[in-house]
Amino acid sequence: MNWLDKLTENLTRNVAKTSSRRGFIGGLGGVIAGGSVMPLLPVARAADAEQPGPPTIDPGNPATCDYWRNCAIDGYLCSCCGGTINSCPPGTEMSTITWIGTCTNPGDGKDYIISYNDCCGKTSCGNCFCNRNEGDRPTYRPHTSNDYNWCLGTESTAYHCTVNIILGVAIK
Amino acid sequence: MFKQVLRSVLFLGIAHCALADLPNDELGKVETLPVPYPNDWVIVHDIAFDHMSIGRFIVMDINGGDIKNFFKGTFDGGFISAFTQALNKPEMYVLEHYYDRGTRGNRTDVLTIYDKATLEPVDEIILADPKLKRAEILVSKFVISLIDDERFLLFYSFTPGTFVTVVDLEKREVVNGVPLPTCAGIYPTGKRGFSSLCGNGSMVSFQLDEDGQVTDQNKIEPFFDVDEDALFERPAIIGGTGYFPSYRGSVQEIDLSGASASLGEKWSLLNEEDRNQNWRPGGAWLTATDSTGRLYVMMHEDGGEGSHDNPGSEIWVFDTASRARLNRIPLTLPAIAFDITMGAAPKIVTTNIEMKLEVYDVRSGEHVNTIADFYHNWPLLVYASQ
Repeated sequence: MNWLDKLTENLTRNVAKTSSRRGFIGGLGGVIAGGSVMPLLPVARAADAEQPGPPTIDPGNPATCDYWRNCAIDGYLCSCCGGTINSCPPGTEMSTITWIGTCTNPGDGKDYIISYNDCCGKTSCGNCFCNRNEGDRPTYRPHTSNDYNWCLGTESTAYHCTVNIILGVAIK
Repeated sequence: MFKQVLRSVLFLGIAHCALADLPNDELGKVETLPVPYPNDWVIVHDIAFDHMSIGRFIVMDINGGDIKNFFKGTFDGGFISAFTQALNKPEMYVLEHYYDRGTRGNRTDVLTIYDKATLEPVDEIILADPKLKRAEILVSKFVISLIDDERFLLFYSFTPGTFVTVVDLEKREVVNGVPLPTCAGIYPTGKRGFSSLCGNGSMVSFQLDEDGQVTDQNKIEPFFDVDEDALFERPAIIGGTGYFPSYRGSVQEIDLSGASASLGEKWSLLNEEDRNQNWRPGGAWLTATDSTGRLYVMMHEDGGEGSHDNPGSEIWVFDTASRARLNRIPLTLPAIAFDITMGAAPKIVTTNIEMKLEVYDVRSGEHVNTIADFYHNWPLLVYASQ
């Protein structure tokens, strides 16, 4: 199966779960405002709410495109590249400048804010390409756009793979 | 028997002696290409997503046939490069960067200028300003634009501070970096200017003087909802008007012919039946025009939130004056991007979901060719030759 077959399949599976997500993303602003760690506002908002801790139910295989945290990813899954869902493969550098998505955990029904951090400095991993675009918006709103190479502020812009980091539960 | 064999050997020897020898080949020949390129040639950008430190551009004849006929030559592009081509001189421009140890080491950003005939880099402009590093964006043709009769080349810089960098192609140097609010896209506007769409649903416009400095700046206040129905940043610009499709199937016309952008009509690509079937625009590159000024939009059925990059199964054709749909062209295989060649017999050229090129006759909509048997990785964007 080629990558676009997969893409289409995954898009079809993941179309519907967005109404509260759009509302949340609409409330974000100025996430990208400088050269430092970007997802400041989601962190701040999550801190204001009750911190749930990591989800106790986390269904699915992180090395597959239809895993729930991958709802707005565009790239290679680090779980297939020697890293994990939230850690980069050996010898790469994690970009701290990111785009964010909001994905529904089917295990607990909650919407989680996900930071998609690129791992950089080596040529493309090439394994487990995944492109899903829930909440993805055009490049004129960078913090929700997965069309950029987000290897920014790293020693090299060479893109290797992408991890998914939970920043908190979305506030509705 | 022995005599028969002897006669045969003698005959073959005499016949061999009668054939002329092949001439000696000339050493060191290198081909050149005709300029301007024929209308049926395209430039395919292979972004090489699996090894993006060296992408490339392939010049191809879409009439296909044997590879020795359709494959014309290549030039390189480092790290998701951006490309544009001049109309009034034989130059092509590649915005790229390289590291001195491949994927690591010292970085050099460069605007490389290629000659269309030789495909050789004939000049380069080093881009040293760290705050003006270019954006690496997979699928936007409007990260780079030519304005002022191709005197200035503009490109989108993202660090993630946002700028439009102004390059004077006559002086071969960077002359300005125009700070943008959170905006992207460079749409040529008026005599010597550009407009960009912004994250709050607004648009900004700038005019430049002969030195590339900003003389005038204007803004259209927010006019669309990025969450509910975002405009694609991938319009077709036809006769000075930008036709920007929206995620849900409208088209926003924006007049780019004056000193600043001004809003035109907003109309729907869809009729009631289309809406019931959730037809939506989508794809990596989803708009184009032809020499008659029609609007072409790639469409997919059963769309919804997140489907805006889906491959398209049809290309719809619209008359921009009446805004009526003239045709629906079903694609042999869904496509992720397309462009349309110029001239009297224009062709649609798509990149399909198997990463093959498909060619369709614009007028009849008939599929006429598939070009597949050449080395490529991700030939994501197609550019008609200018």
